[in-house]
Amino acid sequence: MLEIKDIHKSFGDNEVLKGVDIRIDKGDVVVILGPSGSGKTTLLRCINFLDRANKGSASFDDVHIDFNTVSKKQIHDIRQKIAFVFQNYNLFANKTALENVTEGLVIGRKVRKKEAEEIAKQALDKVGLSHKYNAYPSELSGGQQQRVGIARAVALNPDIILFDEPTSALDPELVGEVLAVMKDIANEGTTMLVVTHEMSFAKDVANRVIFMDDGVIVEEGSPTDIFIRPKEERTQKFLKRVLPEDYTFYI
Amino acid sequence: MSESLNYKFLWDTFFVALSGVPVTLFVTVVALLIALPAGFLLALTRINKIPILNRLAQVYVSFVRGTPVIIQIFIVYSSVPLLLDSFFKANSINMKIYEVNPIWYAFIVFSFNTTAILIEVFRSALGTVPKGQLEAAHSVGLTNFQAYRRIIIPQALVVAMPNICTATVNLIKATSLGYAMSLQEITLKAKVAANAGYNYVEAYIDIFIVYLILCSLVEFAFKRYEQRLARYKPASA
Repeated sequence: MLEIKDIHKSFGDNEVLKGVDIRIDKGDVVVILGPSGSGKTTLLRCINFLDRANKGSASFDDVHIDFNTVSKKQIHDIRQKIAFVFQNYNLFANKTALENVTEGLVIGRKVRKKEAEEIAKQALDKVGLSHKYNAYPSELSGGQQQRVGIARAVALNPDIILFDEPTSALDPELVGEVLAVMKDIANEGTTMLVVTHEMSFAKDVANRVIFMDDGVIVEEGSPTDIFIRPKEERTQKFLKRVLPEDYTFYI
Repeated sequence: MSESLNYKFLWDTFFVALSGVPVTLFVTVVALLIALPAGFLLALTRINKIPILNRLAQVYVSFVRGTPVIIQIFIVYSSVPLLLDSFFKANSINMKIYEVNPIWYAFIVFSFNTTAILIEVFRSALGTVPKGQLEAAHSVGLTNFQAYRRIIIPQALVVAMPNICTATVNLIKATSLGYAMSLQEITLKAKVAANAGYNYVEAYIDIFIVYLILCSLVEFAFKRYEQRLARYKPASA
């Protein structure tokens, strides 16, 4: 469904992505792991054109683009198929929870207002916020804000949702509620590409795990492949650092 | 003439001063109608570092901020007609430039002046809206224009409001300098009334009170509007 080829991105002299290929099929839940600075977030942001890749190409169903020559219209078309969940939620501060969800539907996708509100309420119900329709972001906890962020993405009924470290900015006791919501929507068959440091989510929910380091994909496979039988030394070292000490894998 | 205040004159002249309010407000509103969009657009060129325009806006701001309004008035009031007159003469257009209503010069000077101030007001206000708001708007499929209109500007406006209020009040007060180009506003009308009997103290008191009332009303209106815009903010803010 989504295929990215040889994507490169530099910030000044700093080459963050050094040629990454990634392919995502319908229904995939792909988790990207890797140390900070490895280019995970940049990869996600380039897919949605929040950062502009320097080189590479992408195919999204019938839309084929080259990152160098992509037009505004193509960017708009691709963004219509992708939703994004941000690390810092980025809810519209001047809009209520409900308006945050309807905004993209009514303005971005020209859904009628009445209909959009129905969809938005369903989405907010799904993330357990039926009692917060009219709350402004400033009145919500971090976990609640991120659940609105997820509802905003889900309501658009996109082909794929990109999650950029959705729990990294949360207090530890709020991480669980957000992961639970993500697990729910994954189980409903939503296609997801998730950058996270939550190993449990990667192990339990993902059907494919990608390990990135230093701007390239080091290793890629099923959660079992990566967590139990990692082949690459860099993957092993990383897992040793982030997993509990008594955790063993087989080489 | 007695030593004490001439209360009858004080009372009568108050209404003379008041009769200058429409002109004062007219100049203020026209200047704002021009300066608000112009200031906003030029602030965008500053923030997005649009080549040339960005530099131009920067020079323009320094130029206006670095010179007294009264001098700007003198320059516009004396040089614009001079230039236009020679232009008209050269092209043999029959137009009596020195009979033009001074309000046109007031429009030019005060919109020119207020634009410069609003560029800086909008620049700092837009800077307070986190970049993530625009990114989120893009991610749900809004165009740049839609994102600014629905997400960015409403938030920036709340921050800008107190400064726009200050700029407006300053503008109202600055129009009193219009008397230097015989603009029929509050100050000029009261002063003219005072000329006959040298009742300047009374006239100044009247002028003082009229501006005070006018500016207080404007301030009040802005406060109310700001509260309405900021209803999404936590109660403490």
